[in-house]
Amino acid sequence: MLHRDHIELIHQEIDGANTPEGSAAFRSLVEQDPEARALAAELRRVAQVFEQVAAREPPPHLKQAILDALPPQARAAPRTESGWMTPGAIIRWFVFQLRLATERMEEAIMTKKTMLIGSTVVAAVVVIAGIVTGFPPGSRVAGTIGGVERAARYQGRAMTQADVTLQNPEIQALFQNHEILRLVQSDVFRQAMASDAFRQAMASDAFRQALASDAFRQALANDAFRQAMANDAFRQAMANDAFRQAMANDAFRQALANDAFRQALASDAFRQAMANDAFRQALANDAFRQALASDAFRQAMASDAFRQAMANDAFRQALASDAFRQAMANDAFRQALANDAFRQALANDAFRQALANDAFRQALANDAFRQALANDAFRQALANDAFRQALANDAFRQVMANDAFRQAMANNAFRSLAQSEVLSQAFMREAMRVQQ
Amino acid sequence: MIETPAAADEQDRALVQRCLEGQRDAASGLVDRYQKRLFNVALRMLGNVQDAEDVTQTVFLHAFVELRTYNPRYRFFSWIYRITVNEALNMLRRRKPTVTLEDEFDIRAPGAAPDRAAEVQDRVGKALMSLKPDDRAVVVLRHFVDFSYQEIADVLEVPVRTVKSRLFTARDRLRLALDERGH
Repeated sequence: MLHRDHIELIHQEIDGANTPEGSAAFRSLVEQDPEARALAAELRRVAQVFEQVAAREPPPHLKQAILDALPPQARAAPRTESGWMTPGAIIRWFVFQLRLATERMEEAIMTKKTMLIGSTVVAAVVVIAGIVTGFPPGSRVAGTIGGVERAARYQGRAMTQADVTLQNPEIQALFQNHEILRLVQSDVFRQAMASDAFRQAMASDAFRQALASDAFRQALANDAFRQAMANDAFRQAMANDAFRQAMANDAFRQALANDAFRQALASDAFRQAMANDAFRQALANDAFRQALASDAFRQAMASDAFRQAMANDAFRQALASDAFRQAMANDAFRQALANDAFRQALANDAFRQALANDAFRQALANDAFRQALANDAFRQALANDAFRQALANDAFRQVMANDAFRQAMANNAFRSLAQSEVLSQAFMREAMRVQQ
Repeated sequence: MIETPAAADEQDRALVQRCLEGQRDAASGLVDRYQKRLFNVALRMLGNVQDAEDVTQTVFLHAFVELRTYNPRYRFFSWIYRITVNEALNMLRRRKPTVTLEDEFDIRAPGAAPDRAAEVQDRVGKALMSLKPDDRAVVVLRHFVDFSYQEIADVLEVPVRTVKSRLFTARDRLRLALDERGH
């Protein structure tokens, strides 16, 4: 059995680490001891096998990917036209921010432990990065990708293992979670992170407040919502103050927790609406947000007809109007929204033109009229082309603005007229004739 | 032309200084100097090209962000190799325990035929993966980067005697592992 010192001598000889005296001792040892000779031969063979392994060339894109991910002032190559950071670099930035923030997060993580361990860990990634580390700043801000300023904390001491090792088990656990990996590796997430609008949104207090809400985190775990996040119009909306204010609002977040609403968010029509100032203005309004949180409205949102309506300027103008929003805050109106015939009417040009009309909106602000809207007969009437044509008529709308008419609308007998197409047409013709 | 250690250190120091001054080509110069070496260290540590690529990128990102903390009295390569080894160890810790290293190991160039060289790579790779990560790090730095015991100790921030102990133990295991695999 070889002595420990002899084994060390043999290994050191293989490594070229012996002094001249040590090498002489090694030669003497292997001459005299067959076991030492055998070990030396085997270790040499191991070393030779390693020598046969050639260094591998890194992938050709690696250098550019590295440079793309660097802080702008350190980056040598000009910025690519494709964007601020490559998707891979975004993810690395994101992961890196989490690591850098580990020390600062210690306390915060402990207080958020329940949240992290809960079922909403997917959203927690975003919550952590958004609330604790902050999100990627804009590309044109000097000295960015976080870190550079933060690095000053470490100035004056050499880097230790703690700086480059992921110590916090909570964070490690996050990255072992399949859902989180799925999220950060998803195209949707990368696209969102690469979007200026999204980052701008992330920089907003109101948005981050929204991020901290359960409803928003539930929304994040939802495919439809993530689809929405991948959409430019939606991200533009997120960068908008009114939308962010909406995000900070409980009613809106309650709405986010609802499937129908999220389906609506993922729809083209809604996203077009989001890109529209009038709609966003509407979002800033409490009554509208209350409406958003109502089941009836959300049902309406889930309806194609309503979403088509949202894609329409006149309708969005209507949404932005006080009268309409007041109407939205009204149960009867929202019940009406839950009704197919009414939503069909909303999708109808004539009706939307009517909505854009002050007189009609005034009518909407009227209880009696809204009661009428909530009535089946009236809604059937709304499904009727002639009636909707009538709605497009200024004179008729003036009529609608008339108290007496609205009282009439509240009257069952009057509304029953609408149950018959012939009667309703006749009645409308007569009504218009009388007005003229 | 072979660069002497002193010249290499001087070159590193100059590039770091220029980076800190914001000179745009200096970062590119550092990447050129180190990307292949760091990528190969990560590859031997992880046995997977994609992971090695990820680690290499993370290392450079970390290094550039933390560059101000680098103390020029120490050798730059020790610092950046330390980050690399630590990042690789982190990645190994994050890996799902259900993933078998045998299945993961793939260091052949894409499309490369299973020739003798590729077979050697494969066997060495698998033998390396049979080691404990800390022991593997010592073997990789010794045999693939050609670091001395002292340099390895500097990178890993452990005493030289620990380096020797890990290396000798690991090499004994490798000897047996390679025998099992036909060497």
